[in-house]
Amino acid sequence: MDCETPLTQMNANLLSLQDLSVHFAHGGGQTCVVDRINLDLAAGEVLGIVGESGSGKSQLLFALMGLLASNGRASGRAVFDGQDLISLRPKALDQVRGRALSMIFQDPMTSLNPYKRIGDQLAEGLIHHQGMGRAAALAEASRMLDRVRIPDAARAARRHPHEFSGGMRQRVMIAMALLVRPKLLLADEPTTALDVTIQAQVLDLMSEIARETGTAIIFVTHDLGVVARICDRVAVLYGGRIMEEGPAEAMLSVPAHPYAKGLLATTPRMEAPLTPRLPVIAGAPRSGGAMLPSCPFSPRCEARMPACEVMPDLRANGPARRLACHLQGGA
Amino acid sequence: MQIDPAPAQSTAALQVRRFRANRLAMVSVYLLGAVVAFCFLGPFAFPFTGEDADFDNISAPMNLLSLHPFGTDDYGRDLLVRVLEGGQVSLLIGFLGALTAGIIGVLYGAVSGFAGGRTDTIMMRAVEVLYGFPYVILVILLSLLFGGGTVALFVALVFTLWLTPAVIVRAQAQSLSRREFVEAARAGGMTSWQIVTQHIVPNTISLVIVYGSLLVPEVILSESFLSFLGIGIKEPQASWGNLIQIGTSQMATDLRLLLLPGTLLALVLFCLNFIADGLRDAFDPNER
Amino acid sequence: MIPFVAKRLWNGVLTLAALATLTFFVMRLAPGGPFSRNRKISPEVQANIEAAFHLDEPVAQQFARYLWGIVRGDLGPSTRFRDYSVNDLIAAGLPTSLTIGFWAILVAALVGIGLGMAGALRRNGWADYAAGTIGVIGIAIPIFIIGPLMQAYFSVHLGWLPVGGWNEGWHSLILPVLVLALPNIAYISRLTRSSTIEVLRENHVRTARAKGIGPARVLWGHAMTGALLPVIAYLGPACAALITGSILIETVFALPGIGRFFVDAALNRDYPLVMGITLVYGGFLVVFNILTDLLRGWLDPRVRHAD
Repeated sequence: MDCETPLTQMNANLLSLQDLSVHFAHGGGQTCVVDRINLDLAAGEVLGIVGESGSGKSQLLFALMGLLASNGRASGRAVFDGQDLISLRPKALDQVRGRALSMIFQDPMTSLNPYKRIGDQLAEGLIHHQGMGRAAALAEASRMLDRVRIPDAARAARRHPHEFSGGMRQRVMIAMALLVRPKLLLADEPTTALDVTIQAQVLDLMSEIARETGTAIIFVTHDLGVVARICDRVAVLYGGRIMEEGPAEAMLSVPAHPYAKGLLATTPRMEAPLTPRLPVIAGAPRSGGAMLPSCPFSPRCEARMPACEVMPDLRANGPARRLACHLQGGA
Repeated sequence: MQIDPAPAQSTAALQVRRFRANRLAMVSVYLLGAVVAFCFLGPFAFPFTGEDADFDNISAPMNLLSLHPFGTDDYGRDLLVRVLEGGQVSLLIGFLGALTAGIIGVLYGAVSGFAGGRTDTIMMRAVEVLYGFPYVILVILLSLLFGGGTVALFVALVFTLWLTPAVIVRAQAQSLSRREFVEAARAGGMTSWQIVTQHIVPNTISLVIVYGSLLVPEVILSESFLSFLGIGIKEPQASWGNLIQIGTSQMATDLRLLLLPGTLLALVLFCLNFIADGLRDAFDPNER
Repeated sequence: MIPFVAKRLWNGVLTLAALATLTFFVMRLAPGGPFSRNRKISPEVQANIEAAFHLDEPVAQQFARYLWGIVRGDLGPSTRFRDYSVNDLIAAGLPTSLTIGFWAILVAALVGIGLGMAGALRRNGWADYAAGTIGVIGIAIPIFIIGPLMQAYFSVHLGWLPVGGWNEGWHSLILPVLVLALPNIAYISRLTRSSTIEVLRENHVRTARAKGIGPARVLWGHAMTGALLPVIAYLGPACAALITGSILIETVFALPGIGRFFVDAALNRDYPLVMGITLVYGGFLVVFNILTDLLRGWLDPRVRHAD
């Protein structure tokens, strides 16, 4: 590991990603979408992972949950609660997921089983993992539905997903994920498909309940507004690599990496002066292909230097911050 | 990020290329072509027709080197030529029948889908009711209505098979008629009929080709079993169906009467099915 | 739920009414009457026979008489089998046809779904190849070729099974049921395979996996319904195919079912018998379609609520 983390802190971490990579095999060879990620998460912490489409952020979560497509492979280690998720056999993984480790997905419209009542879908996890009786599990489910502010929870539990709107369905998913009181919740852009007005409600709900149950969250998103709202820490991902990482507030006010700076600059803000043109980051993200030794952002970087032909390591850059850029020490 | 165009918008060239890449489909095309050529051109290689009785050679066994390579039946008629002539009938009815049923179905569906409202409801209600009829019953009854025989058979088959293309095209026509280019056409002064024929129908072609290609084996199969039952094409006119029926009755003593037309029929149906699969893959690769 | 069922019942009644009407007028308009094939009989005898069968009345009146009969459950006398009514004949032949049809569809469903799922779960395994082979054979080779070939091999050559007829208990059933089931096995296994593969890719199945409930529960509790729905939807029209097939099978294997009666009756212009059997077939189709629709409605709440 190249971050200077004291040994004691390392052991207290809930999740520790060590050189985690994800590759996909296809006709033409291999594509690496996540490249040697090193990241730690403490219990109860909310970590945001920010990146554009194709940055590998969703695949990172899928790798942890064992949900990669059949041509996908994860390598490295992901130590969660003392076990390496990557090397777990499916049966052992099933003991972890849906129990200590939960996930919610991006599209609420298709992520629920259309043929089953939502009460049953919620209760399923409790019945399977905790051996609860059906009646007790359904009661718990109703309580949770109430907690996520689904109106008339008892009746709602007997309904089917198509009777609910997108925002409500996502709340159901949240309820389902948090009902088992997991230690870690993986959230893959859960608010992207929702109305802006609903987004805020759902986000607040998530962070509220997570605090209650002591659940840590990894929140994958491309939206800095989301990060600002509920994340304690944030990691910026580009081209499958972490570019910068640190406390949310510090990162959002004073980003160090050119990409992070660009992201912040392109986020429209209420209080900023009007400009004739919205700022953009020039160029487009690279898709596919093998990992090059150079910094993946360098083609689009305004501060590009010859040294950028070699990707710098992720190094400490201030209190609890890390940066992978040759411009270390301010720019 | 690259955004893949939706399959329905692929150019014809792309679709053709995809089809050609499908080896099974291409082999089927060549095989089918060979059978068709064989059936229509083959008989010319022989100095007699399938109806000429060769009294010197009744029930001759197979002898590939003789004048009657596959032997004769018990009327002395050459088996191979009869099978080939039967093939002409079956194939012709198959392709023409499918084409006719397809055209009727497409027009009906396009009009219904485009018109919408009550017209659509009534037209589709009629289709629903007709769908409830047991297919073979309808075909047999209609065959009889028109006096039995080849023409009656053709009409009966077409009358029952236009339903499926109609339903498919109607769904497509419905969604097409909501698009802007239709409004633009109207604003430009086109009549409804013109819009239907010049805009709606051409845009359903790929859909029709895919589902319609299954019509051909269906027609051929239906004609075969009707002739087999004695309701379709009757003696002495040959078709694969009635030849198979004769073969069946003489199965215990002489299998080749059954095997020759049977094999050809099965081969044609195989090829048509693989071609239909290939067309489906070419036009809508997400299906698999 | 009630409006769902009611709508389908009403459509069914309409279909049957249309069927009865169509059949009646087709038979009347078809060239050749029921008695024109007989040897020459004197005009007086001809007139008497026609009067006995009400064939001298105006067409509209015959139709009304016929409809009234149906409502009372009386399908009239057979013009060919003079001593029997249509009801008698149908009652005699129906059990045979029903037995074969029932077994055929049971075998087809079980084997088809089994092979299809096995093929989807373990692609390119033996089940997949078996299903693929049966698929190609069942879809392309017509049953009136397979039937005689099986007869030739199993009955004539090996002597294991009867060539035809209905006299040997369940031995008589084996070949007809197998041959009739074959094209359906082919189609159902293909359909099951592709729909299972598709469902396993869906998001809600991914969610189920994420809950750590194990592959068995994921398959049976979450994927199964979605995978089977298209197959169930197919079963309705499959019944129609079964009717077609039963007519052929009964001819090939010389079985005393209503399919054979139908062909006979059609060729001999036995109007009442043709119409009676048509209505029976039509009735079955309607009932079967309603049942499969109900099953779909029960399994998929979106269908229920759509109506």
